[in-house]
This record gives sequence, structure tokens and C-alpha cells, in this order.
Amino acid sequence: MSPRVPPQGDSIDAIPTVRIEGNAKQAIEVGRNRLLVAGMFFAVAFTLVAVRLVDIAAFRGGGEPSVVRESSATVLKTGRADIVDRNGLLLATSLSVPSLYADPKEVIDVEAAAQRLITVLDHLSAAKVAAKLKATKRFVWIQRGLTPRQQYRINALGIPGLHFQREERRVYPQGSLTSHIVGYAGTDSVGLGGLEKQFDGMLRDGAQPLKLSLDVRIQHILREEIGRQMVKFDGIGGAGVVLDANTGEVIAMVSLPDFDPNLTGAAAEDARFNRATLGVYEMGSTFKIFNTALALDSGSATMNSGYDATNPIRIARFTINDYHAKRRWLSVPEIFMYSSNIGSVKMALDFGLAAQRGFMGKLGFLAPLSVELPERGTPITPSPWRRINTMTIAFGHGIAVSPLHLASGVASMVNGGIRWPVTVLKRDSSARTVGKQVISKRTSKQMRQLLRLVVENGTGRKAAAEGYLVGGKTGTAEKPGESGAYARKALLSSFVAAFPMHDPRYVVLVMIDEPKGNKESHGYATGGWVAAPAVRRIVSRSAPLLGLLPMDEQSPEIRQVLEIELLAEKGRKRLASF
Amino acid sequence: MIRRSMVLWVILASLFGAAMFLIKHEVQVREAWLDTLHREILASQEAIQVLRAEWSYLNQPVRIEALIRRHMDLRPTNTAQIGGIDALPVRLRNADARAEVAQ
Repeated sequence: MSPRVPPQGDSIDAIPTVRIEGNAKQAIEVGRNRLLVAGMFFAVAFTLVAVRLVDIAAFRGGGEPSVVRESSATVLKTGRADIVDRNGLLLATSLSVPSLYADPKEVIDVEAAAQRLITVLDHLSAAKVAAKLKATKRFVWIQRGLTPRQQYRINALGIPGLHFQREERRVYPQGSLTSHIVGYAGTDSVGLGGLEKQFDGMLRDGAQPLKLSLDVRIQHILREEIGRQMVKFDGIGGAGVVLDANTGEVIAMVSLPDFDPNLTGAAAEDARFNRATLGVYEMGSTFKIFNTALALDSGSATMNSGYDATNPIRIARFTINDYHAKRRWLSVPEIFMYSSNIGSVKMALDFGLAAQRGFMGKLGFLAPLSVELPERGTPITPSPWRRINTMTIAFGHGIAVSPLHLASGVASMVNGGIRWPVTVLKRDSSARTVGKQVISKRTSKQMRQLLRLVVENGTGRKAAAEGYLVGGKTGTAEKPGESGAYARKALLSSFVAAFPMHDPRYVVLVMIDEPKGNKESHGYATGGWVAAPAVRRIVSRSAPLLGLLPMDEQSPEIRQVLEIELLAEKGRKRLASF
Repeated sequence: MIRRSMVLWVILASLFGAAMFLIKHEVQVREAWLDTLHREILASQEAIQVLRAEWSYLNQPVRIEALIRRHMDLRPTNTAQIGGIDALPVRLRNADARAEVAQ
């Protein structure tokens, strides 16, 4: 229709008008339409881009944070995470320390340099340093791990050819105090023992410190008191545990002799051995706690029943006799109080082999502990479990467990009968762990009374820390000698206690390996003489730190909870079942 | 018309260019400052770490006990020294009664 191409803006005016008809006109129409479509498409696209641009620029779309966060880390990255005690005191940390190396090519006067260098590093010899500086290599270590002061002084010497390199070094500020639990790491920060080994991977990438259940103050008290008894009775070793009876947390754990983790190279094999968790021992009479608990819990005996302990028991080539022999009928509390082997064996025969083995399994005495340490001892248990084993296990021979096993078992006997998994890490109070009921509440109460009785009137009188209601049990085991026969002279004396006995909060175990009697103990090296006094001092020193108030031991409320009647042997003898 | 808009655009472009340069420069300066701060923070944290280790070392119970033995008269608390308010006898209100007891 229209013969003219419509004007396309100002510039078109200058071009002469052209008439196009027919096919050519149609082609141009098609071209125009296509151009229009393309143009609209681009217009829409650009509008979208523009809108988006405004949106991002003006209305901060696209999830831009309003406050800029820096991406570079300002948190100090050390090679390994720290380990701290329950109060946050540092037990292990990584420091970056300067190490001194030399490039022998750059050293001008070797002899003079060596002479001046040993004025700072006085433990090195000039000849050795000179030999290093004469090496043909381009890199030779002189001393790794300098103190800041040493670095400053070496720098001040101004010897050419000496250089420093920063290196990671694991430092244990508390030294040997927590050596067996914290463990140690090697030169290249690889965990080689204790928690350092157990949590090696976690410590490597973690920035959060590992918080232990240990309390350094209690740890010190435990270590000092056990060390004192070891020296006094000339023992070859010792172990001790303070355990929270209601959570299973290890508050302190000691194995003596110990070592300084900062100088692991110098530590003897014996010192690295963790007697508290890796060592397994026949614990002796402390096992009567479990024997009596099982008898009371299974109903095979009551607090009023008793057994005839007049004559020693002969079985095979053994004779089972009493250490504090009374040679008469004894009630169950008396058997416990006087630690009668004969009575305990008879008690065990009443509930029998299967019940005993099942109970030991329930207490966890047949498997390694679940504690977070790589050094966990596997108990030595009889196989096959015969009648004679049942008889010896009644008084703690024929089964060997670690001291921590024992402490954990005693905790579940006194805390209402619940077995908590033992841990060396601080328990989160919000995360409830599940404990297993192993004995009834009623039996647990009776055990508390019996344990208190031992300290009040029995073999454990030396453990009585006034005001803290200590209850406990002595144990004196003869160690099997080289040939397997029991050696009379090599003893393992222990005392396991809980306090305060009306509502036990903590379990304390002290064990001295091969103590020898002295004049002061009238030649005795038994648990009552060797370990019980240490327990008394540990309790009275640590109870105030643990937030326990001393109480009147004679107050009626406490007497009512803890007192039991000791049966007059004559009158009741007939009623007792034999 | 074209010339006028061109001038406007050139002015705008150079303004934005200048602003961009200034802002970028400022950012560079601040980033350098931030880097310095980061380095200082890391150095301080390292120093703190050393001090924490030293604090723990100086807090070794063995050492503190030895220091107390040497310099002070403190002894471990005796059980008898610890008591509660409720263990105290009743306070006498009357001044005369107090005087009487005092005698």
C-alpha cells in the first residue's frame, strides 16, 4: 500500500526515496519483522540486565552480607589442639619455637663461631659444633627448640651463616604430673602415648581444646601421697585413682614411677607403663566387696546370716586360711569387717560359679575398660572357670583386673548400684549417659554400711579421715612369682574407699606395689598399714577442694543411715544357715 | 545534541573513573592495614599461647606448695576449722545477757 519506506530516524532523510514493489517488497517486510523480533528480544534482555543491576547495586540482592567478613583466618593455627584439665589449666600445648641451623658455606671462621656459640648453648661441646659447621652440606641442625632468650642471645652474637627456623613443639607445662593420661607426642607432633595417641587425628585438625575430667590439684595430692608411701615402704611402684562415683569421671589417676613427657627420650620402660589402666593385678581382699554384694543381691545371704570360719578350707593342694583368724562362726558383716577368706569362700559357694561369672561380666571385669586411653589392660580370667576359681575369686585371687576396673566396680557398688562408663574426658552435664543397674539400691545401701564398718571397726581404721565418713576395704594380695607360685614377700597392698559414705561422691583407690614392712608399721606391709593412711590424707586434703563440708560423724541422721548391728555370735548361731 | 550528551558522558565517565581510583586506593591502603593487624593479632596470640603455657608451668602444684612452705605460715585446713553458721550458738539479743555470759 504505502509506496515509501517509512522514515527511520533523522539519518534516513538524506537518503533518496526508493520504491520497491512485488517480491522485493515482501522480502523487506520479512526482514523488518525479523529485525523487530530480534530487537525486542534484545530490548527485553537488556532491560532485565538493567533491572538486575539496579537490584544488586541498590537493593543488595544476591545475598551480599551487609557487614563484610574477612576471609583470612586470624585464629592462631597451631599444629595440635591444646589439652586442658577440668578447670581449664593447660596440660599440653603446641608452641612455635625457633630452631637453630647453619649453612656451613656461609660460616667464615668455624672455630671462633663454635667457641662463641657454646657460650649460649653451654650443653654442647665446641668440638662437636665445629665439626657440624665444617660439614659439606648446605644445611645442618645445631640445636632444635631454643628458648626465646637463647634465640635473642645467638642473634646478638651476629655469627654469619646461622639461621633460625620456626618449628612446632609440643609442651607439657605440668611435666610428669599427668604423664600417663595426657601421654606424649614425638618430635614431629605425632601422638605416641596416652590421649595424645588416642585422639591424634582430632587434636591435629581441632582448634577446640580437649577438656579432661582431671583436676590438677587432686592429681597432685594423689601423686604426692602415693609417692610418700612408696618411699616409706620401699615399694617398686604405685597406682591411684580418684573417681567421681556418680558420673564415672576420673578426677585423678596416677601411676608411679612416672616420666616427664617433655623428655620422653629419657623415660624408662617401667616409668612409661601405666599401672592404673594397663597393668592387671590380682587385687586380693578388695574383691570381697563384690563377693559380698553378689551374695546380698542374689539373696544367697543376708546381713543376718553367717558362716562357720573355724577351720581352714583345704582344696586340692591349697589351704585357704584367714589372715585375721577368729576361729569361730562369723556373721556376714563380720566376715567383711575382719576380711575372712574362709567366710567369703563359703559365701561364694552358696551363690555358685555361674552367678559369679555373670556378675563379673556385668561389672565389666572380663573385658578391657571403655576408657579413652590406648593403654587398656585385658583382665586375666580363669579359663575354664572351675569351682576352685570361684573359691579364690571370692577373696580376689585367680582374676586380675586393672586398678581402674576396681575403682569403677566399687563406684557402682556404693552409688546406688549403677555402673557408669569410666571416662577421662569432662562429661557434658547436659548430655546424659546411660548407666547400667548392676545391683539393687538396697544392696548398695548395705554395701555402704559394710564399707563404713570396716573403717570404723575393722581392718581399715587408718583410713578414717575425720568428718568425711570414709568407708572402704583393705586388700593385700600376694603377687605370683616367676614360677607362678605365690611369693610371700612380694605383696600388692591396696585400699579402696568411698566418701562421704551416707551419699558417696568419690571413690579413692590407692595401691602400692611390693611394699616392705618397717619399724613404724611393726613389719606389716598390708593394705591397712600401707595404703589406708594415704587414703586418709588424700581424703582430708582433697575434700575441701572438691567442695565437701566435713560433718558430724556421730549425728543421729548419719548413724541411722550407716549403722548396722553386729550380731552377737552366740545367740544367733543356731538361726544361721550353714 | 550529540556533542552535548557526549560531553556529559565523558564527564560522568571521568568522574566515575576518578571515584573508582580513589576507592580502590583506599581499599588497598585499608587492606594493607588489615594485613598488618592480622599479623599483629597472630603474633599476640602466639605470645599469649606462650604465656598460657608459662602460667600453667608456674602453677604446678609442687612449685606452689614449695613456695608456700618457704614464704608463708599457711597449713592444710584442719577439719575442725570448717564449720557452718547453723553450728554457732544462738546470739543473745539482750546486752545484759551478753555481759552475763561474758562474765
